[in-house]
Amino acid sequence: MSINKNILIFLLTAIGLIVLPHIENLPPSVTGYFYLLLSWRFLGVWKPQWLPSKLMLLLLTVIGIAILYGLHEGIFGRDAGTRLFVTALGLKLLEIKSERDLYLIVFLAFIVATSLFLYQQSIFMAAYILVVCCVLLGTLVCINSNRSQTWQSLKTASEIVAQAIPMTIVIFILFPRVEAPKWMYFNDKHQARTGLSDNMEPGAISNLAMSDELVFRVQFTGAIPPSAQRYWRGPVLTHTDGKRWTQNRNGLSQKIDQPTFTGNAYQYTLLMEPQDKNWVFALDLPAEVAAPLRRNSHYQLVTSANPDKRTEYHITSYPTYNTGTITKDEYQEATQLPGPASANVTQLVQRLHGFDRSPDIFINQLLNHFKTEDFYYTLTPPLMQENPIEQFLFESHRGFCEHYATAFVYLMRVAHIPARVVTGYQGGELNQIGNFLDIKQAYAHAWAEVWLDQRGWVRVDPTAAIAPERIEQNINIDQQIARGIISFTPNTALAAVDWLKNARQLWGNVDYQWQRWVINYDNKNQSQFLSSLGISDLKTMIYWMADIIGVITAVLCWLLLRNPSKTVDPAVLAYQRFCKKLAKNGLIKKPGEGAKDFAFRAKRQLPEQATGIEHITQLFIKLHYGKQHGKNDLQQLNRMVAAFKGKR
Amino acid sequence: MHNDLDQLLQTANQIILGKPRQIRLAVCCLLAQGHLLIEDIPGVGKTTLSHTLAKLLGLNYQRIQFTSDILPADIIGASIFNAQTHSFSFHPGAIFNQMVLADEINRATPKAQSALLEAMEEHQVTVEGKTYPLPAPFFVIATQNPSHQIGTFPLPESQLDRFLMRIELGYPDHRAEKALLSGQRRHDLIDSLPVKLPPERLQQLQKAVTRVHASDALLDYCLAIINYTRSSPDYHCGLSPRAGLALLTAAKAWAFMNQRDAVIPEDVQAVLAAVAGHRLRSGNTNSEAIVQPILSNVAVL
Repeated sequence: MSINKNILIFLLTAIGLIVLPHIENLPPSVTGYFYLLLSWRFLGVWKPQWLPSKLMLLLLTVIGIAILYGLHEGIFGRDAGTRLFVTALGLKLLEIKSERDLYLIVFLAFIVATSLFLYQQSIFMAAYILVVCCVLLGTLVCINSNRSQTWQSLKTASEIVAQAIPMTIVIFILFPRVEAPKWMYFNDKHQARTGLSDNMEPGAISNLAMSDELVFRVQFTGAIPPSAQRYWRGPVLTHTDGKRWTQNRNGLSQKIDQPTFTGNAYQYTLLMEPQDKNWVFALDLPAEVAAPLRRNSHYQLVTSANPDKRTEYHITSYPTYNTGTITKDEYQEATQLPGPASANVTQLVQRLHGFDRSPDIFINQLLNHFKTEDFYYTLTPPLMQENPIEQFLFESHRGFCEHYATAFVYLMRVAHIPARVVTGYQGGELNQIGNFLDIKQAYAHAWAEVWLDQRGWVRVDPTAAIAPERIEQNINIDQQIARGIISFTPNTALAAVDWLKNARQLWGNVDYQWQRWVINYDNKNQSQFLSSLGISDLKTMIYWMADIIGVITAVLCWLLLRNPSKTVDPAVLAYQRFCKKLAKNGLIKKPGEGAKDFAFRAKRQLPEQATGIEHITQLFIKLHYGKQHGKNDLQQLNRMVAAFKGKR
Repeated sequence: MHNDLDQLLQTANQIILGKPRQIRLAVCCLLAQGHLLIEDIPGVGKTTLSHTLAKLLGLNYQRIQFTSDILPADIIGASIFNAQTHSFSFHPGAIFNQMVLADEINRATPKAQSALLEAMEEHQVTVEGKTYPLPAPFFVIATQNPSHQIGTFPLPESQLDRFLMRIELGYPDHRAEKALLSGQRRHDLIDSLPVKLPPERLQQLQKAVTRVHASDALLDYCLAIINYTRSSPDYHCGLSPRAGLALLTAAKAWAFMNQRDAVIPEDVQAVLAAVAGHRLRSGNTNSEAIVQPILSNVAVL
């Protein structure tokens, strides 16, 4: 084999690096198979006799197909396609015979590198792929130059990449964004996301999963609301069977009064991470929404855009509002009970003046009850399967937000006060550098809403009523601060970890901007951005593109034409045509062979063409190397070459 | 003009049998106003070649036999006290001749070698603060034994660079050797040689050589060769700018000898082994093999 050992090691290393992040995305059988083949090939660099024979290779191919078949995914879709490419790449590695194979492998590797973006679009991944592509390009440089020094090739490759980056940015910004049609979004069955659901069963969960996953980010124009006002409204649960609370789907589109807003408004930009559901979590209570957003009759925002894509929304919310009167349907929905209340419950409601005093007093009494009695906040409550609300109220006294909210709403309804459970997120971590809020899955929350005469729907958070000393110790500190459950002023102990927090916030900010400006740069954002530059329609955009391309071309032309010897002599072109004709007779000019020597060789092989060859060669030498030549010499050369008959 | 040259070559070929290419290169070197280094084992006709050329060109000729005890003064000359005039007078050495044969140059010590080589480069000699110009035309033919022989001081690369060309003569072929054995004594033949190209004609020709045209395309080819020697791992060090100039001058002379007014790549290729061989790898005497990768890898067009 004539392939340089250095090039092979270089190429194999680059490919090993490219497939590395796929370990997370692909089943172990595929990556295992691939890395087995790769290490085999690595061994083959030093021990070529150990490389598999044709038969063995066939067997390996069959094994590869069997692995793919065993995964039952076909060859379409994101996962299946990536697996196919990785398997093919591994097999092709064992079949390097000529330079052509190297090129094929490099291009396959580029495809596999691109496929990484289908799984992850973070800055880290982009930087990683850029570096790995540099190494791959270095292999190409190595193959194509007679230098085999690794560092030299890597340097050339990074120069190429560095030169390509400005061009990429221009094209990224200006080139029309192509929205992939819906069928091209590969729906992957295995991709399950955590998040809020449209039902709730407080007793069923004994250990709440706390996830650090980001749900959305909010950037305010102007003031940021205090922590106590950061209630991000999600689905409203109204119907219960005693254990399970669900959304009343029929009630979502009924006609209701427009709420009246007073006081200051908060304006903000909300960047939703990809979701399963089409919910958008707005600050209580959102006003004035534009398409694709819609506000349903529970004042929850839903979007008609694809929730699987990261999308940005502009929303205005008012913390003080009055939703006005309540419809009959709403009243029924909000006072629904699974059956008659038990004696214990009725007694409790009676004791707290639920039946004989105003709702305000009852609410305060109930919150006070949670505070003064022995209620605990814990993320690991006991299982309550039989009758969760009563068990919670009278026996265990232990639970988290869902338990408190459902119990509260249940008791309200027993007292004939319209009430419902609102789920969503509470709080948010402020990134001081970017001045935006991060809302993570861990901030999921449930609270209650009661309808009061003259005031409309009023938010009540029973979880906030629990005495601070009865909060379980192992709860995430961040979460407690965010929820306003505990509060403290920063002390010296925390100052030590301050810089760590700063660094995290800085990174969070970079990530947010990356998501907003790079990943989320779609058709709409592009036209918005371009119109802010004064490019409003397609025509101006084309002018811009043409101008920029023109400028770049001009610069390149200047760089190239600065050195006039680089331009191709038309005589050389004619002579090359002549050589092509001779090549048909098997007379191939060696690169180091001069025209005269070549003519000498050609004349001996084609004696009958000798005069033609002699004339053309002499004329070419005169034109290309001579001191001076006539005006018609070039034309004559062209004519003679055209008239020259290559075939015998 | 070319007639004279052809006659000169023809006559020389009658004296030194079977070496037309080497003679051509030697004359080419002369026309390019460079110095010539002949490297070969003793007895293959190095001295005969230089003697023949001197005779045919009508140049006054002096041979310096280099030995390990030769001193710079033996080459350059020395000031000797004249008792009659009570002053020192300069007695020029062997170098004050139009054609100098420095025989077995690598037998001398570096000190003596450098005295000769400095004179070659500067065309003048400075003794005791006084500068004496060397005659024109001035042409040095140095011979050297292969450096692996006992008692030699190989010339350093920097001094090898001063020779425009290095050629090897090699053994004559069967027919030439037989003709040599059966023919007249070479020494007698040389003595009876007529002058074919008087010095003033030689200088005219040398001037004409400088007027040979080298096109842009050809300069690119020369540069490609130079760059190749600098970047290729085959060569320990590449050709210097001086070597590049030497290559072009020699190619011009070669083109001129072939009755062309412009240099073509074949001219460069013809002189490349002689011009570049000793500059690229001094230890190796097979110049053709040294430059072979250049000839086959550097594209002409």
